[in-house]
Amino acid sequence: MTMSPVERDSEFDRDALSCLPEVARFARSLTRNAVDADDLVQETYLRAYKGYATFQRGASMRRWLFSICHHAWMRHLEVRKRVLLEADTADATAETLSAVMGHAAAQRAGLDRFITDLGLGPAIKSAIEELDPAFRSIVMLVDVEGMAYAEAAAVTGVPVGTVRSRLFRARRLLQERLFAHARDAGIVPADSPTSHSTDR
Amino acid sequence: MNPPISLAGVAPIDCRTAVARLWDFLDEELDAIRLAEVEAHVALCARCAEHYRFARAFLDAVSESWQEIPDTTQLRERVVETLTRQGFRDGR
Repeated sequence: MTMSPVERDSEFDRDALSCLPEVARFARSLTRNAVDADDLVQETYLRAYKGYATFQRGASMRRWLFSICHHAWMRHLEVRKRVLLEADTADATAETLSAVMGHAAAQRAGLDRFITDLGLGPAIKSAIEELDPAFRSIVMLVDVEGMAYAEAAAVTGVPVGTVRSRLFRARRLLQERLFAHARDAGIVPADSPTSHSTDR
Repeated sequence: MNPPISLAGVAPIDCRTAVARLWDFLDEELDAIRLAEVEAHVALCARCAEHYRFARAFLDAVSESWQEIPDTTQLRERVVETLTRQGFRDGR
């Protein structure tokens, strides 16, 4: 059944524009500044509206919008030649084991407990922002938006295995940076074994 | 590393296998058999259980760090303005 333009716009308003706050948060995490994020959101909704006929009824509107947003941002990065393909070389199992060894070292240094400190939020947010774009988008989709690997793969247009390896490396990097933050903040002495390398 | 830990009906896995599945387990991406193997191991291995507890707390902290939803009232107006130029009729 074909919708009238009024019905289509009403549906777009209800289903797509209601996702704007989440799309804006995702855009902010990708661009790392408010002006670029707002431009990206505008571009996302413009593309979504123009291509609304291609949206499959019953599919996740949020995932569709995130996908448009991510693709638009990746095109910007390609233009700026800032895409790092190094991310695809990550080994998921090795990254997991490395993160576990990092935790073991942090336990010995007595700094693993700080991870639940209430004041850690800004440090984590900052550490996420410092991740390379390919890692950052996956962390946001899985760890913040709560998507399954397959959903994140659909949004980013990469295989599930790549999502997994990027996610695990990103988490390992985040963990290392937070331990370093704890050491720099004086939570533990500078000579404490905060690196997993001491555990090998 | 501890030797493989076994519970009735579940194949035993060693500590290395248990921690290698850590992120997949917490992300609920394991199949039922692997999930049961991890649960059985972690229930009896204090060291691995501690790694899982820490990883869960770490993921919760990562998730919490970005939970704040930005105020998009003005941005929505800009978006609607842009869409209106494409023929969109705002129902509000």
